Amino acid sequence: MNIVWIVVAIIIFTILPNFISGYYIRILTAIFMYAVLSQCINLMSGYMGYLPFGHVMFFGIGAYMTAILMRGNLPFIVAMLLASLSAIVVSIILGFPVLRLRGHYFAIATIGMNGALMTVVQNIDITGGARGTTFPIIMLPPGQVYSYFYYAFLALMIITTFAIYFIVNSRFGFAIRSIKANEDAANSMGINTTNTKVVTWAIAALFTSIAGGLYGYWMSFIAPDEVFDLMFITNSIIMMLIGGAGTILGPVIGAFIVETVSEFAWSGFMEYHLAVLGIITIIIVFFVPGGVIGTITEKIRDRKIAASIKSEVAANDR
Amino acid sequence: MSLQMIINAILLGGLYALMGIGFSLQWGISGIINLSYGAMVVLGSYISLIIFDVFKIDPFISMLFSGFLLFLIGAFAYKFIIQPSIKGGIVFTLIITFALRLIVENLILYIWSADYRTIRISYAGRNFQFLNSFVPLTKFITFLIAGILIYFTHLFMMNTKIGKGIQAVSLDKIGALAVGVDDKKMYLINFAVGTALAGITGSLWATVYSFSPHVIDVIIGRVFIIAILGGLGNIWGAAAGGMLLGFVETCGATFLGAHWQEAIGLAMMVLILLFRPHGLMGKKFFGQ
Repeated sequence: MNIVWIVVAIIIFTILPNFISGYYIRILTAIFMYAVLSQCINLMSGYMGYLPFGHVMFFGIGAYMTAILMRGNLPFIVAMLLASLSAIVVSIILGFPVLRLRGHYFAIATIGMNGALMTVVQNIDITGGARGTTFPIIMLPPGQVYSYFYYAFLALMIITTFAIYFIVNSRFGFAIRSIKANEDAANSMGINTTNTKVVTWAIAALFTSIAGGLYGYWMSFIAPDEVFDLMFITNSIIMMLIGGAGTILGPVIGAFIVETVSEFAWSGFMEYHLAVLGIITIIIVFFVPGGVIGTITEKIRDRKIAASIKSEVAANDR
Repeated sequence: MSLQMIINAILLGGLYALMGIGFSLQWGISGIINLSYGAMVVLGSYISLIIFDVFKIDPFISMLFSGFLLFLIGAFAYKFIIQPSIKGGIVFTLIITFALRLIVENLILYIWSADYRTIRISYAGRNFQFLNSFVPLTKFITFLIAGILIYFTHLFMMNTKIGKGIQAVSLDKIGALAVGVDDKKMYLINFAVGTALAGITGSLWATVYSFSPHVIDVIIGRVFIIAILGGLGNIWGAAAGGMLLGFVETCGATFLGAHWQEAIGLAMMVLILLFRPHGLMGKKFFGQ
């Protein structure tokens, strides 16, 4: 049942660019990108219980490494993959010390690392400093460029979602979820929590850095305070919360809702769009704290329980 | 290291110390990482600006008003927005306070635009001489006021009934409840005192530096470092953290260049987190 809907959705999004204008293609591309980021935050926070607030550093690493390697005349795909490899290396090196911290402290330490990394990028020559750097121009008509990135981000979103689906439902995924439930208990059950945490962070860094590389190529110009902006992560967290943390389709649905709303806020209330976004966030946290998916599954479960109680009562009456 | 540099570092550190204390109290005692803290500081600056523009009242006087106003804003925000979100855990409080920041930032942008503003008080450019070095007058007054306020906050926390209640809930919540301390009220007052200090810091900031909505990010980065250096919820620890950050930034700016000072502060924070998570001066924290 579910898989049918997902296949239908994928087919619709594959043929959609033929029927809509460039403006909507752009919005959808941004939605797909945010879905990828939100999915990575979901893996870390929704499933493992570690909130990587400074996770955007891998987005920045992906974008900058891709730019630097492409200036060395590497083709885009190769540059992007090498960039994601470097993000994995960074995540492993940083992960071993930082993932010992829990709760607030982990979130803050990642913010600090992101800030420090951004300052480094702003101050060394190879990255172009605070002025930013450019990507090679794509020699294609604009329409084709738009649909190129549309399909690239669509594919990345689908791959990320499926990959995380299989990861969290594997044996390794149970280890991840046991860390959220109770890390000390997981440790004493014989799960190597340190390795599990670092590998999970590396997976999240992989997809985030690929999204970063694609984003940089899409924008064709990047600056440090843009690709290391914490706004990316706060938006992704809001999306995860709205869609439902710890559910596989939650981040995707959240990305659709939040991007549509913020686009509406931009065009409708140009001067108050930040406040509108803030107020909507507060309302959502108060009224749908389980997220869209969480609330729906809860409703379905309640109805099933109610139905089973009713049938039981009927059976007893007879 | 010249005397002038030491003086600059101390004057900067005094303001940082005051700035960090409110944030540290909110985080350490109420358990809220208040991402709207930077916006509250800048709001304090703008409140002083509007009072200066309309009534020509000195920011060193209007800081009392911005402290009072921010106390009320903090109390309302805690009561109606933040407290209900606490049960959702760290993700919810972070997002809620970030949303609050967006609203305040938007308000500032709407009323005053994104331009940098300054308050030009008549004695702004004056210096006095101290052992061959120059001490800017406004910075010196700022430093004095910051010191006095830190001492008053200390007195409030140690000697008043409410302050003792706040100490009690931060040490042992259940024990405090058992002897009849209203924990929710204490958290609320503590949070509001934190935002009031933010507002006063904003007014002081406005006498020395220029300000705009961009300053929000600068401030939030600094207060994280100060609070973590000093140990959460610890007044004198945060004061020492602010002083230390003032010295590190002044030295970093002189020896390495002004661009690097942010990276040095942040790297210091990450190292402290890894090796001394309860801060340089902090005791083991009871509120976890």
